[in-house]
Amino acid sequence: MSRRETVNHLMMMVIAFLLLLMLPEYLNVYHRSFVMFTMMYVVLASSWNIISGFTGYVSFGHVLFYGVGSYASAILVADHGWHWLATLPISMMVGLAFAIVIGFPVLRLKGPYFAIATLAASEGTRVLVTVWDDLTHGGLGISLPNVENSMETYYAMLVLMFVTIGTCYWVAHSRFGVRLNAIREDEVAAEGLGINTTLYKMTAFGLSAIFPAMAGAIQANKTLYIDPETEFFVLVTITMKLMAMFGGKGTVIGPIIGAVVLYSIQEYVWVTFPHAHLIAFGVFLILVARFMPRGLVGHAIDQGWWRKGMVH
Amino acid sequence: MDSQSVQAAGDAVALEVRDLHKGFGGIKAVDGCNLKIPAGQISGLIGPNGSGKTTTFNLLTGVIRPDSGEVYFKGENIAGLKPYQIFRRGITRTFQITRIYREMTVFENMLSVSYLLTPMQDARERAERLMEFVTLSKLRDEYGGNLSYGQQKLLEFARALMTDPELILLDEPAAGVNRTLLADLLDRIHELQAVGKTIVVVEHDMNVIMNHCEKIFVMDYGVNIAEGLPHEIQNNEQVIEAYFGRRKDGAVRAS
Repeated sequence: MSRRETVNHLMMMVIAFLLLLMLPEYLNVYHRSFVMFTMMYVVLASSWNIISGFTGYVSFGHVLFYGVGSYASAILVADHGWHWLATLPISMMVGLAFAIVIGFPVLRLKGPYFAIATLAASEGTRVLVTVWDDLTHGGLGISLPNVENSMETYYAMLVLMFVTIGTCYWVAHSRFGVRLNAIREDEVAAEGLGINTTLYKMTAFGLSAIFPAMAGAIQANKTLYIDPETEFFVLVTITMKLMAMFGGKGTVIGPIIGAVVLYSIQEYVWVTFPHAHLIAFGVFLILVARFMPRGLVGHAIDQGWWRKGMVH
Repeated sequence: MDSQSVQAAGDAVALEVRDLHKGFGGIKAVDGCNLKIPAGQISGLIGPNGSGKTTTFNLLTGVIRPDSGEVYFKGENIAGLKPYQIFRRGITRTFQITRIYREMTVFENMLSVSYLLTPMQDARERAERLMEFVTLSKLRDEYGGNLSYGQQKLLEFARALMTDPELILLDEPAAGVNRTLLADLLDRIHELQAVGKTIVVVEHDMNVIMNHCEKIFVMDYGVNIAEGLPHEIQNNEQVIEAYFGRRKDGAVRAS
């Protein structure tokens, strides 16, 4: 990575940020919320990518952090009268706490065992949230005070998205990220060559948890109603995973492209073929898995259009 | 065991292994191993298949924990420490079957080993220099998995040197490497010794062992049964017996 390349990337990010900053003025409420949810999926797919793409620990329970983040925020807003922006740091801390408590035992597992354990953790948390109705209002869910805040949530998500992308960019182009890749490629060798793998995996897991927790919090204050079934819906995990894999996991740009393209297609297909949208979406994903198993960016690298490696 | 000549050559010990034991279920893979690896030399560790050489390497580098015994390095008992802790004290290794990072470029493979506190510019320069050292500079931006097996061995060797270690453990560096590449690799090993590094080689290729090692340790059934200079080892009855067995009349079978 030459200095000029870094400057170019930074410029691109600043331009994208300014464009997205001005955009909502020209959009109606529907399109504004469409862009906001696209940005949310960029956050989710990019976060999933930190632990699963860079570090190779494929999580099937990432909705967990999104869910606990949204609940932490909703409880503080609805039951304790907090301003929703003030709840974001709390949601982040709650997400991080869950990552530490769950990560410590679960990151000792590998491959399918890790995947199943993370899935179990997210489902277990969903059940816990459902039965603990003193705190969470149980299966009834939480209704938040009705306010029109589509602008504020849009801007909050915009900032969160750029913080997430910036973090991923730093990870990918630092020795910290190269070391995460080393853990993905061969953990025994990585540990034998000086990497404290437990510490690195925990850090990656924590980073990949805090952004979804905040995304969940912003989302809760946008939709103004949450319940355990939607906040801990397995499909959210699968969606972020598919987006990252479609774009190209283990890269910075991959999950961003994946989230934008897949979320747009999903919305288009849903509007155009309301009865068959899941089938059409499924067929599309099968074709991608068959012809581009390493995703768009991976495909570009394999074809020689894109340079191999992150740090040059 | 006649090792007076070696004693005379230099008394400094880089690594001392005392009564090391490791069992896997009923199998005693290492059963009372004692080694004094001389500092600044190339030493060989040989023995028949299953004699505990690789297990010993894994014990020294922390990949597995010993049941009992001590390993002294720079006056400290490092037995039972974690692999990354032992690495940070200055011991590095390569693996019997290469463990390079396949979906990372050669350069990233190198960079992953440098300490985070080392300035990035220094790490880059060292990586470039070491890739030059093992003639892999042209493959800098190629994936590790796309290298030939011999090149992967070179990469693994270069990668192990990123932090300027004092003790280098090489597990079968010659296996699967063509003769030309092997000659290069051996030259590099001698260059390292020339700047004061201690090297231990586990190897089945007796040409490598006999022509390039100063002191040789022989293991059988998890115990070191002999040590000495190459010509001493070649004529050692116990060693010949371990490799070739004993004739019915009790005489050692030697060719």
